[in-house]
Amino acid sequence: MECVVQGIIETQHVEALEILLQGLCGVHRERLRIHELCLKSGPNLGLVASEVRLLCDLEQTEPTWTVRHIGGAMRGAGAEQLSVLVRTLAESKVSKNALRLFYSLGYKLDHELLRVGFAFHFQRGAQITVTVSSVNKMLKLHATDEAVPVTPGIQLVEVTAPASSENYTEVVAAVSSFCEYLAPLLHLSKPGVSTGVVPTAAAAAASLMSDGDEDGDGKEVVWHILLSCGLLQY
Amino acid sequence: MPIKWILHWQPNAGTTVNSQILAEVSQCAEGINGIKEGRWKATISFYRAMTREQANANEFPRDFLGISLAEQPGKYYLVLKGQRLVVEAESSIQMIMEKLQSYKTRVALNFEGNQYQLGDFQLRVGKVAPMQSESLRGIVMEMEYLPISSWEKSHQIMGEFFDLWQEALSKRSLPGHFVHIEPNFSEFGLSDQYTSQHTAVQYASIMAQMIATAQSVQPVRN
Repeated sequence: MECVVQGIIETQHVEALEILLQGLCGVHRERLRIHELCLKSGPNLGLVASEVRLLCDLEQTEPTWTVRHIGGAMRGAGAEQLSVLVRTLAESKVSKNALRLFYSLGYKLDHELLRVGFAFHFQRGAQITVTVSSVNKMLKLHATDEAVPVTPGIQLVEVTAPASSENYTEVVAAVSSFCEYLAPLLHLSKPGVSTGVVPTAAAAAASLMSDGDEDGDGKEVVWHILLSCGLLQY
Repeated sequence: MPIKWILHWQPNAGTTVNSQILAEVSQCAEGINGIKEGRWKATISFYRAMTREQANANEFPRDFLGISLAEQPGKYYLVLKGQRLVVEAESSIQMIMEKLQSYKTRVALNFEGNQYQLGDFQLRVGKVAPMQSESLRGIVMEMEYLPISSWEKSHQIMGEFFDLWQEALSKRSLPGHFVHIEPNFSEFGLSDQYTSQHTAVQYASIMAQMIATAQSVQPVRN
């Protein structure tokens, strides 16, 4: 299982978000360049239609492949009240010929994407990952070098954390509370529930990018912005 | 990693495999000073496409195998022998296959038995039985040579050891013999350096052979 929320941010404010994240997480970002292939079962295969994703991390010297299956979201009145989506997720690292396997089994390429950006991995009540990426599409099959942005000027922000049926309430709380720190720059919500960009983003970004940061690690401006939003008190 | 040959027992025409043969083979391993070192186990699952209409089943591969090996407990191997394809995955791929509901396990076979050490060689003799059943369907043997990982370079010494083994076993006048099938690994994109993917391909090859043998003995049921 995983807990997930998503949001969008204008590319011009990404640098400010990075400074904020750097200050909040205290870890360095990792570069991200992921080729994602979404495969769907052919018309006669399976009792129900199915979908699986193949991800290739192009940042690695030797690209590594992962098969990912995103299952259904948790349902019910309790789940609806949560501000974070809880869904099943299964992943398996695979050898590079996995695409050929799925084609041979009767799966077809539905679409492919290239996500370019960065990620922060850190422990904060849960093992949280924040990814900030521009989503690109390929004009030619698998031509990752010629990818163009799907939404120019807008980047996708995703906050995820692994969870289990035993601990998901704690993980949801940890993710929700972390998202509050990012609120001045972007609003995060369940996938599929678009909330657009936030009006305070420009002012918050300007504050973050100002000269208040003496040692360049972003901490001072993070404190400043959190204080100004009422998330921290003296 | 060390190379190994996977061999399977080929019964003589008109005979079938039985537990007495398995016991004799194990005794033979001990008779040539093999030191019993414990148990080993491998599992092979036969996947079959799930289709809304039976008529569509032929569109999809019928030789799709999933293999787990004792030598790589966290890994799972998916083999399509007809397509000359072997994929190495983490064990969690089994859960993904279940969730996709596009292929299901039709039959699963256990391969398990004892392991013997003979100097630089390791022998693993085991029975083949359907999961949740004790009925013996075949006998397999893994013959591993620890110092060499090149398939080509090990060929001579493996051949010589296999001859010695056959000679020792022939004294027991058993109704059959072990057969070594050598798959063309390069067709699967595998190099001369031995890996667990080579082991998976060998298991897929002996399965095809064992099924062919079983079908030649018993009339094929529709």
